[in-house]
Amino acid sequence: MSDWLKRFLPFLSLIALCAIIPLAEYFILGHDSKFLTAGNLAAIARQTAVITIMAMGMTMVMVSGGIDLSVGSIVGLSSVVGAMAMASGTPVLGGFLICLAVGAACGWLNGAAVNLLKIPAFIVTLGGMGIYRGLGLYICDGNAVVGLPQSAGYLAEKTFLGFIPLPLLIVIAIALIVHFVLSQTQLGRYCYAMGSNLEAARYAGIRVSRYQIMYYAILGALSGLAGAIETSRTVTGQPNGGEGYELNVIAAVVIGGGSLSGGQGTVVGTIIGSLIMGVLANGGNLLQISPFIQKIVIGAVIVLAVTFDEFQRRRVESTEA
Amino acid sequence: MSSQPPALEMRGIRKSFAGNIVLEHVNLTARSGEALALVGENGAGKSTLMKILAGVHQPDDGEILLDGTVVKFARPADALAAGVAMIYQELSLAPHLTVAENIFLGREPLQSATFGLINQRDLNARAQKLLDEYGFKLDPKMRVGRLSAADRQLVEITRAASSHTGDSRRVIVMDEPTSSLTDREVEELFRLIRDLKKRGMAIIYISHRLEELPEIADQLTILRDGHAVYNGRWGEIGTDEMIRHMAGRALKEIFPPRKAQIGDVKLRVTDLSRPPKFQHVSFNARAGEVVGIAGLAGAGRTELVEAIFGATPADSGQVEINSEPFTAIHPNASVKRGLSLLTEDRKRTGLCLNLPLSTNVTLANVGALVQGGRLQRKVELNATTNYIQKLSIRPPSPGKAVGRLSGGNQQKSLLARWLFAESRVFLLDEPTRGVDVAARAEIYREINELAEAGAAVVMVSSDLPELLGMADRILVMRRGRLVAELNARQTTQEEVLKHAALEE
Repeated sequence: MSDWLKRFLPFLSLIALCAIIPLAEYFILGHDSKFLTAGNLAAIARQTAVITIMAMGMTMVMVSGGIDLSVGSIVGLSSVVGAMAMASGTPVLGGFLICLAVGAACGWLNGAAVNLLKIPAFIVTLGGMGIYRGLGLYICDGNAVVGLPQSAGYLAEKTFLGFIPLPLLIVIAIALIVHFVLSQTQLGRYCYAMGSNLEAARYAGIRVSRYQIMYYAILGALSGLAGAIETSRTVTGQPNGGEGYELNVIAAVVIGGGSLSGGQGTVVGTIIGSLIMGVLANGGNLLQISPFIQKIVIGAVIVLAVTFDEFQRRRVESTEA
Repeated sequence: MSSQPPALEMRGIRKSFAGNIVLEHVNLTARSGEALALVGENGAGKSTLMKILAGVHQPDDGEILLDGTVVKFARPADALAAGVAMIYQELSLAPHLTVAENIFLGREPLQSATFGLINQRDLNARAQKLLDEYGFKLDPKMRVGRLSAADRQLVEITRAASSHTGDSRRVIVMDEPTSSLTDREVEELFRLIRDLKKRGMAIIYISHRLEELPEIADQLTILRDGHAVYNGRWGEIGTDEMIRHMAGRALKEIFPPRKAQIGDVKLRVTDLSRPPKFQHVSFNARAGEVVGIAGLAGAGRTELVEAIFGATPADSGQVEINSEPFTAIHPNASVKRGLSLLTEDRKRTGLCLNLPLSTNVTLANVGALVQGGRLQRKVELNATTNYIQKLSIRPPSPGKAVGRLSGGNQQKSLLARWLFAESRVFLLDEPTRGVDVAARAEIYREINELAEAGAAVVMVSSDLPELLGMADRILVMRRGRLVAELNARQTTQEEVLKHAALEE
């Protein structure tokens, strides 16, 4: 029963939110729901796409027992580098690939540092957060990179069937891939094993450093992809792009049932977590709730999610005789 | 003495969790000045019974009497205040605090009650007084994290023995207190228990090691499947009968005979060193052979097998598997060559506790499940079901989190892992620690089958009857060196101990 509740609580919360918001619109504001229009739902998808993409990678890293606070800074750095390449004549596609490569390199560095320096990932990536942000600001002197071809907007603006944004399709593709990797492959199996008990995984003959670095590199690459989408959205390189994203990304994983201590988390859960935050923000705007209040609510939701997770864990442990 | 009511009586205790009856009409009596040995296999209900005594669980039925008066413990603090102290199997000390701080944790002498200021000097002085009283040579200002396992146990005991209010110190429960102690430390503990008895305390002593009980036990209660199947004076029944009560089977079935053909050398270790842990160790293990490694705790046995396996590489020396030299720098290389290590601490270095049994069984050979880039769940399920039957793992559910299995079944699932990884050379470090009698018998049977199938087994154990019953040869380590090689058929516990403990 409690396992069932734990599994479905995030989903039920999301459904409840989607029911409450239109009702509130009708009864409080006195007009028909704007929330449930295709345009608004597409907007939510667009707004949450970047966070969800990064949260897919974060799910892997956190399931394996790690964490990465530098992802927001990676978005900024990759955006600047990719934009500078495009501004100096690199084809748009090449520019986006450069974003990905920069992100992957940063992630790889994070993973390598966690393994080499033997200090907690929290600290390593807290440093990385400063380093990558500073690097991005330094190379463009703190100014947005301009002069990109108009076609750079393609990645963010292209829609299919008139309303399905390309970023949404990218999210779906990446979610399917990461879900497959986590649930069906050796790479994913090791992810859970390492997060559950790193030492046990090592003693079972798993090359834990190699895999750990791989998970961080994948997260880095996805953060680079997020940087590419941000670049495309504004058609500029934004040195401050992605600021604060790390919190939303980690929150999406945690709200979706991922554990900060590793070994737990799923792609489906993370998507729901990300949507809960997106819907909260969107619904808050529709209901004309102050964005400052929204911040407070989202913060409280994170604490509640972790509390619930801990509470469940303790109950499970106390029933073991 | 018997005219006055016993220090503790538990009458007709009944407890069920979610419909499963865990305890059924259990009676237990502990008298002051005596030690009650409480034995039973894992899952027999010992821990639940003691948790009821400690106020952690409430009984569905039955009553607890202290000195003839019915008491009710709604929470652990009630039990503690009534003079029932518990020393748990897993040590529950705060490693960053000092000895004194741990002893008085939660009841620190305060300088100012308003501000909660702790009087550090008074704290240390009072801790010192207690330690002196019990005869423990510990520095109250020492951080607990820097103490040996045995010394930590002493801190726990001091805390428990002093945690009464007023003069009502009555009952101390010790749950497997010796599982992390060396033989010498066990001796110290027993001296302490005798001393506590003299002070009029009632001790309840839970242990798997039947051989250590004669030293201290006065009474015996045996639990099986939630029933107290035996209550009596210690010594009224012999070991064979005790085991029959515990397991429902006889002792001689525990070490079944082995018909293994001894073949070629599978593992050769030459001059392996990692000072100061072990130095110049050379030995070999042949196909079909079980080689035992005996020694006191700290003799370097665990470090030796970890080095052979490559978990913590040796500084110098060679290891050959099937006459091919190889340098183990990571367990990965060893596992690929068919070398496995069943580690001493299954929770820390063995199991992924929150993951399913099946995942744990296949972990060292996930590659075998992969077909076309995908894990084949069916293959995994079949393999796991196969090992569940072969090793009688209970409950037989491949999807159950392995952390919810008993110690014996956890150990069997680790053995299954190495079987699935197709190991041919098995390093087993304390394979039956914290494992009940029935599961031990199954582990021994499996080790025999491995040897009969031509595997080489190296078995580190602190349980001498086990080494004598299972090994062909016994190597004795002392202070990091191999000091003797004995024929297990012709040697005795005394001879092994002499080599293990003697100083030249």
